[in-house]
Amino acid sequence: MTSASITASAPSAEFRAAGTDLSERRRSGVSTGPLIDIPPAPDTIGVTWDADGKLRIGALSSIAAIGADPRIAATYPGIAASALGLATPQVRHLATLGGNLAQRSRCWYFRDPHIACLKKGGTDCPARSGNHLYGVAFDLGPCVAPHPSTMAAALLAYDAVILTNQRQGLSIGDLLGDGSSGSSDHALAPGEMIREVELAAPPQGERALYKRAISRSHAEWPLAEVCARAVVTAGMFQFIRITAGGVAPVPLRLAACEAALQGKPASATTIAEAARQAKSGAKPLPMTAYKLDLLEGVVRDVLERLAR
Amino acid sequence: MSTMTINGRLAPLPADPDALLVDVIRDDLGLTGTKLVCGAGVCGACTVLVDGAPVVSCLMPARAAADTSVTTVEGIGAAALHPVQKAFMAHDALQCGFCTPGFVVEAAAFCDSWRKHKGTATPSREEIGAALSGHLCRCGAYDGIFNAVAAACAGQFDGGEFISPRVEARAKVTGSARYTVDIRHEGQQEGAILRSQFAHARITELDLAPARAIPGVSAVVSLLGDDRMVRFVGDPIAAVAARDRKTAVAALAAIRITSERLPSVIGLDAARQPGSPIVFERSNRKKAANVSEGTPAPASWNGNVRGPSTAFSHKAKKVRSWLAAARDARNPWLVEGTFRTGAQSHTCLEPHATVARFDGDRLTVHASTQSVFHVMELLAKRYKLGHDKVRVIADHVGGGFGSKGALGIETIAAIELAREARAPVRIAYDRREEMSVTGYRPAAELNIALLPSAQGDLKALSLTAYADTGAGTNSTLAALARLIYPAEAKELADYDVVSNLPPGAPFRGPGGPPMAFALEQAIDEAALRMKVDPIALRKRWDPNPNRQRLYDWAAGLEVWRNARTAAAQTGRYRRGVGVATGYWLYLWQPGVKIELKVAGGRLIASTATQDIGQGSRTVIANTVAQEFGLEPHDVEVRIGDSDLPEGPGAGGSRSTASVVPPTLLAVQKLKMAIEKDAKRKPPAGSNAPWREMIAASPDLGVTSVRPEDSKPASSEVRSALKEAGFMGMIFGWMLRRFSNLAVGAGAPSSVQVIEVEVDTWLGHVRVLKVHTGIAVGKIAAPALARSQATGSVIQGLGYALYEARETDPRSGDVLSAGMEDYRIPGISDTPAIDVHFDEAGFDHVLGGSVGIGEVATVPTSPALANAIRNATGVRLTELPIRPDRLMAALKGRAAA
Repeated sequence: MTSASITASAPSAEFRAAGTDLSERRRSGVSTGPLIDIPPAPDTIGVTWDADGKLRIGALSSIAAIGADPRIAATYPGIAASALGLATPQVRHLATLGGNLAQRSRCWYFRDPHIACLKKGGTDCPARSGNHLYGVAFDLGPCVAPHPSTMAAALLAYDAVILTNQRQGLSIGDLLGDGSSGSSDHALAPGEMIREVELAAPPQGERALYKRAISRSHAEWPLAEVCARAVVTAGMFQFIRITAGGVAPVPLRLAACEAALQGKPASATTIAEAARQAKSGAKPLPMTAYKLDLLEGVVRDVLERLAR
Repeated sequence: MSTMTINGRLAPLPADPDALLVDVIRDDLGLTGTKLVCGAGVCGACTVLVDGAPVVSCLMPARAAADTSVTTVEGIGAAALHPVQKAFMAHDALQCGFCTPGFVVEAAAFCDSWRKHKGTATPSREEIGAALSGHLCRCGAYDGIFNAVAAACAGQFDGGEFISPRVEARAKVTGSARYTVDIRHEGQQEGAILRSQFAHARITELDLAPARAIPGVSAVVSLLGDDRMVRFVGDPIAAVAARDRKTAVAALAAIRITSERLPSVIGLDAARQPGSPIVFERSNRKKAANVSEGTPAPASWNGNVRGPSTAFSHKAKKVRSWLAAARDARNPWLVEGTFRTGAQSHTCLEPHATVARFDGDRLTVHASTQSVFHVMELLAKRYKLGHDKVRVIADHVGGGFGSKGALGIETIAAIELAREARAPVRIAYDRREEMSVTGYRPAAELNIALLPSAQGDLKALSLTAYADTGAGTNSTLAALARLIYPAEAKELADYDVVSNLPPGAPFRGPGGPPMAFALEQAIDEAALRMKVDPIALRKRWDPNPNRQRLYDWAAGLEVWRNARTAAAQTGRYRRGVGVATGYWLYLWQPGVKIELKVAGGRLIASTATQDIGQGSRTVIANTVAQEFGLEPHDVEVRIGDSDLPEGPGAGGSRSTASVVPPTLLAVQKLKMAIEKDAKRKPPAGSNAPWREMIAASPDLGVTSVRPEDSKPASSEVRSALKEAGFMGMIFGWMLRRFSNLAVGAGAPSSVQVIEVEVDTWLGHVRVLKVHTGIAVGKIAAPALARSQATGSVIQGLGYALYEARETDPRSGDVLSAGMEDYRIPGISDTPAIDVHFDEAGFDHVLGGSVGIGEVATVPTSPALANAIRNATGVRLTELPIRPDRLMAALKGRAAA
């Protein structure tokens, strides 16, 4: 599809990849505008390994395929584990990487067809003054819903580069914004769609993990989630990268946490102190202080396993 | 036109970009084994294979299936049953069966892949749990599902021989069982209900004409009451019927409403404030829904607060003075606290649904109901029709749990639309309706004070309960504390706090679980302070003979004997053990009839009851078969049809105790009749004498009525209501007079011991094992009773740990209106469950069996909270014990 044919559509048109987010909003009446099915194209499905070790993942690749790819699991274990940790097997078979990044909020006010909110053209956020049990603990913008994309948090940890049909070289930050926009879940222009995600080769000896805190065992949107990469040599954190999802309007890089670990011994004490830094910059809402406890706990869990 | 191949046949796909695969499969192709439940990819009931991979057809656009090969449950065992299907049948891995097709499709794909890669190795619980993590079962059949999938993968069901303990299991695992939502008559119209978007308003004008003018609309009716008020978001206003759902929804949008908005009040705390907006003026109080099964007794009102109902108090003044003195004396054994429980949604996987049709003056209603016979009676009365002119049918019911016991507005609307449309009309609630307006177990605040005497007896108990009943009344929580743990004095007060929320409804042991959450934690706390073993203290305070035996069993468990001595734990993971007790009333329905006949050489048992997953078909088949020395499948059981002889509702755990005694009487009568008419006796030494006599018998029939019970041999076996003296007798009389329920002697009882591991970093509770001891008499269908017991525990764990109905505090909208935000337990949340049946105690009941459904879920939440207290030293006083609450409690912070 050419960009010309897309821009000819009304701005309210929504792209549909597998529809695992959109179908529910169509049925409930939250989404009523025109639909554009993204046509499958060879370069948007599947993975390509470049000679320099770079990985390119087509935006229509399924989450299940990403999670099941042994080379991805060996090279980018944080990506594979994130893919296997989200949704359910039957959703992962359908859902695509691009769709996961561009999906809309799971906020229960946004999903209620009878309630106005910022993301549906309303003038205020009903969750902020209402029930925001699953809201953000880093209050960075007018809308208090956490960003729903697990893959975005993982790709942020890997400094992934996004290619769209209109732009190249986008970071996750460019794609999703800084959380200050209450009205959208991504910064794609009308008619713009994700085509490909690029990952640079990771450093030698790197390990990575993904973990989410939920109330049940499986199949639940994260209360807090963490993707972390580390190179530990001679008992020291030589390289560390930690990102978090489920706690802010956009995935966050936990820079204070990283600073407390970089070049430090991979000891329980260092890790416990660094995990406390995960809350750095947090602004919890009245009902979401618990998410900071969980975030600290998930960071600590992941770091202890990486240090082993 | 694009096409797909489905179960080996080519099928066209619609051009509509919004058409979803599930709708094409169910509506266009009539393959109704695939179920639509959550519509959000959460529950997996709609799972089908697309090119061999399991996907959720409720989210998959139909056009995306072009040129693929789709397999539904009907295609899984088309030639011969798949090993997974046989294993589900043999391990009773199902109850109501509504989730079963989705589970079977996924498990078959998992099993095939497993066999290809791992041969006949047995997968672990973790592997099975992860593979089935996209499926939810509300009955909680997970224990059987684990066993079934493991056995099928291990090759145990490759052969043909197996026994299925549930008589209708084959229909459920193959998708051929027809539920109300699956009924399709010629010319059937689709109905939908217009609901209030305001929490409180008077509808001043309702113009239905624009809806009627829409092509394809066949009927439009008003559902407003005479006061034209709506009192909660979702209150019904009008209904339409049209050729399809899309047209019906468009017609709803065309209805013009003018309304006068009124001030509203939402929830327990706001509605208790003096001067809060009034939901029911004095003249309209009778419009409040009933959140219990019994008829409401009179009570006073103060604003939105109805109560106190104190009939079960005993020397209340003494309680007050003793408690005051104990407080003054700083009596260390005085336990006082406030407990809060969440609102629990039934979350039936089959939504409330009705298909109504008129054939001349005869009305036939297919309804997803817990009571075909009673609903027939109510409809006959409402529409002034003879019983012979109304027929209510429910072949299979996809869960009820108390929410489908009454005559619902979906049934009334479908009937009125069918009459106007002169065509059959179906109304099936969408998931948002099902999770919003079909009732719930009300949230509650319980203030408790428990005072032991200096000698260590139970001296006084005070329990005051405020139930968050929405636009309903008649909660009974505190009163239930009268019927266990006798004390010198008890002060028990129940309040309904009415607000502009949808009304609550009876839910599995109404009032029992929240009462037990407070009482059983108070007992646990008393035991800690008195330095007495918690089981020993219960044994001392609770003389009930059924529970005395269960306490002995629990005290003998290895985990109980070994685990209570652990020193204070400080690590990340902390383990603990807790115990709690529950009881329920033994109820049975007078007037229940069983017809038993020989027809064409075959036994047929009939009664107008229905099976919502509890297994009544099987209970009747087993009972008859056993008496004749036959196999259950030799007996045809006809239920689910109000044209059959009067049968019991499936509520109040009454089914087994109502059907087994008349079945046994009918068997005696039929045996006599067969012998009398027999031309020759079977040869001596025949090992199946009755089989031959039945085969040779002319057609014969007998009918027996549920007899009164005999007098128990022991004076200790008496009705639980006897604990409440004269008021208990009155209550029992009212229940029989107005609700057609008899309270029998003996208390169905349950004692649970739960082992947990608390992750103090992630606020997560892992339930390691549940030991559930149950005394409900003789077990009529052992495999199914075990399924009921484990399912009750799993639902109780959901109540304890995950389930919370959340509402917007201003608008009154239900926020947890989908299965993503309303969290029921999944298979991986299911611990190992050890079930112990104590079969004594009900010898005065013919057959010796009473019901199990409710009692087994009562003690779960307090047993779990007591285990967490044992593990962490922290007492959790609010349900559900989610990560937010657990983290707050561990950090000594007030939860939001």
